[in-house]
Amino acid sequence: MVNDAGQLYTMEGVAAGVIMLLTAYIVISTTSVYTPGDTHIPDMQLEQLGSDVLAMMDTPDNREEEESRLVVLVKGGVPGGDTLRTEFLNNCKMRAGGDDDDLRAQVYLTYRKMNGDVSTIQLSSSDPGFTGRENTVRVTRWVHLPRGSTYGLDNLDSSRPHAVLVEVLLWRA
Amino acid sequence: MACMNEDGQWIVLMGLLTALALFFLALIINQSALVGQTTAEGVLEFPKNDIRDLRLAIFDYYDDYGELTLLQQQHYVDDIVRISLERKNAVVYFWDGPQQDVSGRMLRPVTIHYYNGVTKYDETVYY
Amino acid sequence: MSLDFLAGFTIFMLALIMVVSMVPGLLAGLESSGIDYDAVAYRTGVILVEDPGWPVYPPWEMNDEAHKDEIERMGLAVSKETPNILLSTKVDAFFNDSFFTPDDYRSKAIFGDIPYSYNFSLNISQPDGSYELKQTGDPLPLGGYGYIRRVVKIKEPGAADIGYDSSFNETTLDPSKPRIFTVQLDFSQLLDPDVGPAYRIDPRTEPVNITITDFGAYLNRTDPSVDNATLKSVTFWKMDPTRPMPRFTKIPFSYSTADSSLYTLTIGGNPYNLTPDTKVFDNDNISFVLKPAATSLFTLDQNSILDIRFTFDDGNPQSTFMNGTFRYDYANVTIPALSTGVLEVAVW
Repeated sequence: MVNDAGQLYTMEGVAAGVIMLLTAYIVISTTSVYTPGDTHIPDMQLEQLGSDVLAMMDTPDNREEEESRLVVLVKGGVPGGDTLRTEFLNNCKMRAGGDDDDLRAQVYLTYRKMNGDVSTIQLSSSDPGFTGRENTVRVTRWVHLPRGSTYGLDNLDSSRPHAVLVEVLLWRA
Repeated sequence: MACMNEDGQWIVLMGLLTALALFFLALIINQSALVGQTTAEGVLEFPKNDIRDLRLAIFDYYDDYGELTLLQQQHYVDDIVRISLERKNAVVYFWDGPQQDVSGRMLRPVTIHYYNGVTKYDETVYY
Repeated sequence: MSLDFLAGFTIFMLALIMVVSMVPGLLAGLESSGIDYDAVAYRTGVILVEDPGWPVYPPWEMNDEAHKDEIERMGLAVSKETPNILLSTKVDAFFNDSFFTPDDYRSKAIFGDIPYSYNFSLNISQPDGSYELKQTGDPLPLGGYGYIRRVVKIKEPGAADIGYDSSFNETTLDPSKPRIFTVQLDFSQLLDPDVGPAYRIDPRTEPVNITITDFGAYLNRTDPSVDNATLKSVTFWKMDPTRPMPRFTKIPFSYSTADSSLYTLTIGGNPYNLTPDTKVFDNDNISFVLKPAATSLFTLDQNSILDIRFTFDDGNPQSTFMNGTFRYDYANVTIPALSTGVLEVAVW
């Protein structure tokens, strides 16, 4: 006699298997959603690298040197900005065995104008590959701009020293 | 048609138990991923480089302090305070006291306050 | 046991086995994500780049094999106030992997309970555009390691190059008296707090380099046949001006034992101890390096004055006129410019 009760065991086996496999699939897919939390680590590495480079560019190589390389380049204003970016990136790319070539940067400068307003200008020319959606980090450095003439910094009172903020957006292309 | 034989239900129960165990495992794994995340976030969030840089900027100001007029001093302090607020979203103020003799050198106590909404930093340093 | 039950149970077991075999993959993914490694690499990078290490005075890098246990932490920074500026003597000591074992690196730089594998490298840019690479540790795996890169500057010790200077050519002295040429290190001047630690001459942490070139110009040419003078000895004297009635006293030191960990003295390229009693010919250079390990034996403080006295004696008449005091200070010593470098730490 054909007893269809036998079907039940097979059906339940299939049901249990489907439940377990589905769970495993869901679990694996959810944990992989959480891993982008790791992107904070590359950010942290990039930020550390950027602030190291700015700090080192702001350190004179000799005691006799009055102005650090960073101050010289900031005084050069907008034309100096591209040189600043190139030198900044050269320092960032340096590593043992082959340069780390896919780094990009954009340099901004914030200073106070003669009338006291805070003004931010772009020092380096725009990067054609920059869309604004990149995962960028921002590193900054206070620069002590001594008295005297600067180039291309609009409305800056050159009769007094300034504290200006160099900001660099750094990202991986 | 099918008679209601429920002897096989325990297989489904086993399946459910395994599924539950897997969920707990996933929960633990997610927690540990969070640990790594917070380590990196902690480093990113604690503005060590910012504070260090701010101190240097303030020391640069006191290097020039003597040769600035009162108005220029005020301007320089405003540079730091206003740009900090606008670009770094940080409340910064600092002031100095009268010069004192600290083991043979004339130094002034400089008090620095920094607060960016997350991290607060106060220091009095002789410079 | 019916066939149906077997079929159902087999399907269940197969699914269970599949799921169980997936679990270790889930865990392995967690382990290789390098979350922990990155944090360890970051920490190690901070220790190396922003800290001078412990002990500070005498600095850890001077400890020899017998005192290696006293090193608590290996940091490369010049001082706590100057992060990212590394001292070349510390760098050289750190990358000396015949002195430090992998366990030393783990317990004094990486810190951690797990025996991590590591790779440290420092790429120093040279003035001519080339790079000098220092490296220690295991070769890098293809991936899955924690990593940090720090841009640094490296401070090299200063060097005094003493050429011909008429003020040291004292031709009017008593011809029978030995000539004493002194190199004087005034610590209160050298350690002046107004000079930043990044540009300081600190004989307690860096070697003192003295090279006397153009020795021939100081020779006593009244007798044209004279082409050499005898360097009798090099001695160390110290004075503490804060004491009552300060005067120079000779520092007890094993002058007649050559020890390259304390000093090196070469005349015309050949090594000697500090009582060479040998002829220096007119085109020979005298070069003397006083290592910080020796300076630490002299028990000097920040007010002391240290004299390094070169005594030339050939009897009457003396063969050289070299006499006087050369000040080893910021005006006379060339300090090389800081060079840029990249320190990379990989941990796995």
